[in-house]
Amino acid sequence: MRHPFPYEHFRNKSFVFFSLVGTLPLAPALRSRLAAAGFQTAQELLDTGPCGLSKEIGISREEALEALQVVRQECHGDAARTPGGSGATRKCTALELLEEEQTQGFIITFCSALDTILGGGVQLTKITEICGAPGVGKTQLCMQLAVDVQIPECFGGVAGEAVFVDTEGSFMVDRVVDIAAACVRHCHLIAEAQQEEDHREALETFSLENILSHIYYFRCRDYIELLAQVYLLPEFLSEHSKVRLVVIDGIAFPFRHDFEDLSLRTRLLNGLAQQLIIIANDHKTAVVLTNQMTTRIGQSQSTLVPALGESWGHAATVRLIFHWDNKSFQTGHSGSWPWSATCQAPEAQEFSHWGWDSVG
Amino acid sequence: MAAKKLRRAQLSQELCERLSRYQITTCQDFLCLSLLELMKVTGQSYYEVQKLLHKVSRACAPKMQTAYEMKLRKSVNPSSTFLSTTLHSLDRVLRGGVPCGSLTEITSPPGCGKTQFCIMMSVLATLPISMGGLDGAVIYIDTESAFSAERLIEIAANRFPTYFDSDEKLFCMTSSVHLYRDLTCCSVLKRIMSLEEEIISKKVKLIIIDSVASVVRKEFDPKLQGNLAERSNFLTRGASVLKYLAEEFSIPVILTNQITTSLSSVPALQADLVSPADDLSLFEGTKGEKDSGCVTAALGNTWSHSVNTRLILQYHDLPTRQLLVAKSPVAPFSAFFYTIEKSGLVLQGKTRTLVPGIDNHWSPEVLSTF
Repeated sequence: MRHPFPYEHFRNKSFVFFSLVGTLPLAPALRSRLAAAGFQTAQELLDTGPCGLSKEIGISREEALEALQVVRQECHGDAARTPGGSGATRKCTALELLEEEQTQGFIITFCSALDTILGGGVQLTKITEICGAPGVGKTQLCMQLAVDVQIPECFGGVAGEAVFVDTEGSFMVDRVVDIAAACVRHCHLIAEAQQEEDHREALETFSLENILSHIYYFRCRDYIELLAQVYLLPEFLSEHSKVRLVVIDGIAFPFRHDFEDLSLRTRLLNGLAQQLIIIANDHKTAVVLTNQMTTRIGQSQSTLVPALGESWGHAATVRLIFHWDNKSFQTGHSGSWPWSATCQAPEAQEFSHWGWDSVG
Repeated sequence: MAAKKLRRAQLSQELCERLSRYQITTCQDFLCLSLLELMKVTGQSYYEVQKLLHKVSRACAPKMQTAYEMKLRKSVNPSSTFLSTTLHSLDRVLRGGVPCGSLTEITSPPGCGKTQFCIMMSVLATLPISMGGLDGAVIYIDTESAFSAERLIEIAANRFPTYFDSDEKLFCMTSSVHLYRDLTCCSVLKRIMSLEEEIISKKVKLIIIDSVASVVRKEFDPKLQGNLAERSNFLTRGASVLKYLAEEFSIPVILTNQITTSLSSVPALQADLVSPADDLSLFEGTKGEKDSGCVTAALGNTWSHSVNTRLILQYHDLPTRQLLVAKSPVAPFSAFFYTIEKSGLVLQGKTRTLVPGIDNHWSPEVLSTF
């Protein structure tokens, strides 16, 4: 007689109930005790109940109850996720992803050459890294983006707010005021030319005061403050759900001194990169980082490379390297997949009061 | 911030004691560990550890301010945002003068007037606010023994003859300039670290270090292995402390740097040429031979990243010299001519705001703006 495999019994339960005790987020001491007592799966724990658990392992009933609640939360959390519901581990087809990406907004930079190689502008949900020599304009570009992210939708913007994390102290409020004033003027010109109702409405709220009030500025003096701030960012972004841009101006500076232990630095940077990726995805924001250039001494010559090492290079989706070229003023180079185009700006790019602008 | 002890981060007493057994006493130690390590040392579950991380981060993280609040604060107190140089065209281009709260670097070949500029700024800082000064003391860290008190008095008496009309006023001014002679990197760094208390007790409104390059280049030879990294370390440490002081007390910090000429294509120095603004060989006009090497600001590109404003002084047709605004968050390309007189630096002629491409004498790579 064939014993039917108890398929029916298991079909309605998520496979997570078979998750091993070792993977549950319990305190390590508790986990080792459970392992020593012979518990293997989460289902076993739930079946034993708090009193039985406390007697078997030798912990108090309250502790056992707490542990079971953690297990239940974990299992239910996973169960809610597996049937394809919304959450961190949802599945979708590449087509859905493509449609999503195409409707994604871009933060335009007002420099047509730059927008072209970026594929429309700085993309939301991605990390963009800007590297360059000192004085080439990284902070200027970041300040420009902090204003451009706020452009109302009817003018082609994403109508978001900006978080500016400054580690080098190069944020100049007066310059932001200039850039914002020029942006408002530009939008007024468009509105006058096109004479549409929603343009006029949008302009009522798109004022200098509003723009400045929606740039949230954090000054981080060392890498600990930076780490702490990035830990707290998800909470801040949940409270300020309109933020569409997070700028970290100077990711390299705090990590470039007082680090004898380079492996610690690599680990911290990797952790930072992961957190930023999660932030970018979960909150639909663009993350823009600026990096310094450093000297790499080779056998026959030295070259300038972005700072923070090879492994950091993998953190960003899009990497822009600005450097001086012989005849042209600046060259933007998108180094990472999927775009690897070089762009030459044949005309002189002038730092007008608009900030970045291609002068024809 | 990093050295903040955990018990001030509002963690429970027993937790702090448990952590101290693992040598984790400060927020820095705590935040540098990974989640698994934290679970091990605290003996708590994943969610509990997340909450602890949150608490500790709250204790360390900076306060948020909007750009609007910053602007309001600045407009309430406009005079405290820059120190006027009394070189009117330069002040106009820099939106007021040497900015407070950030690092300004003066670079030049020897003899162009760096120390003269610094001495002049020392006089200006002691002037009352009504005259464009900051009404405060000056800390002058001299590493080359180039400071001359007589020159200080000469500049003061000649530049502001109506104000410094009595000896008493001159002595009062000279007693507000505090001079320190530190001749090694180590002592300079120690001095910078100890400045916080001095600034408060002496009501200091300007810090000058003349010159950073001479003391660094004496001790660090970038051709030797390991020295480049150590030099960068020293410079970034110094820069971050100075930035902290500048921002915390809202005062200007002026540093001087040298121009270096590399006579052959030595790899280490070649790579220092990061910004064409630093490639001063282009300034030499026709007589400079590029083959003989490149002329650039010393101390490398890490240092160039750390300063916020860079002014370059250099020779023109003697006695006229030239002052260039090479890096500034607010100023466009500009060049001025000046001479050095009894009263300090004096601008000659009109200012030239240069547009790249149109003004062919200065190609765009040569000047950088930030």
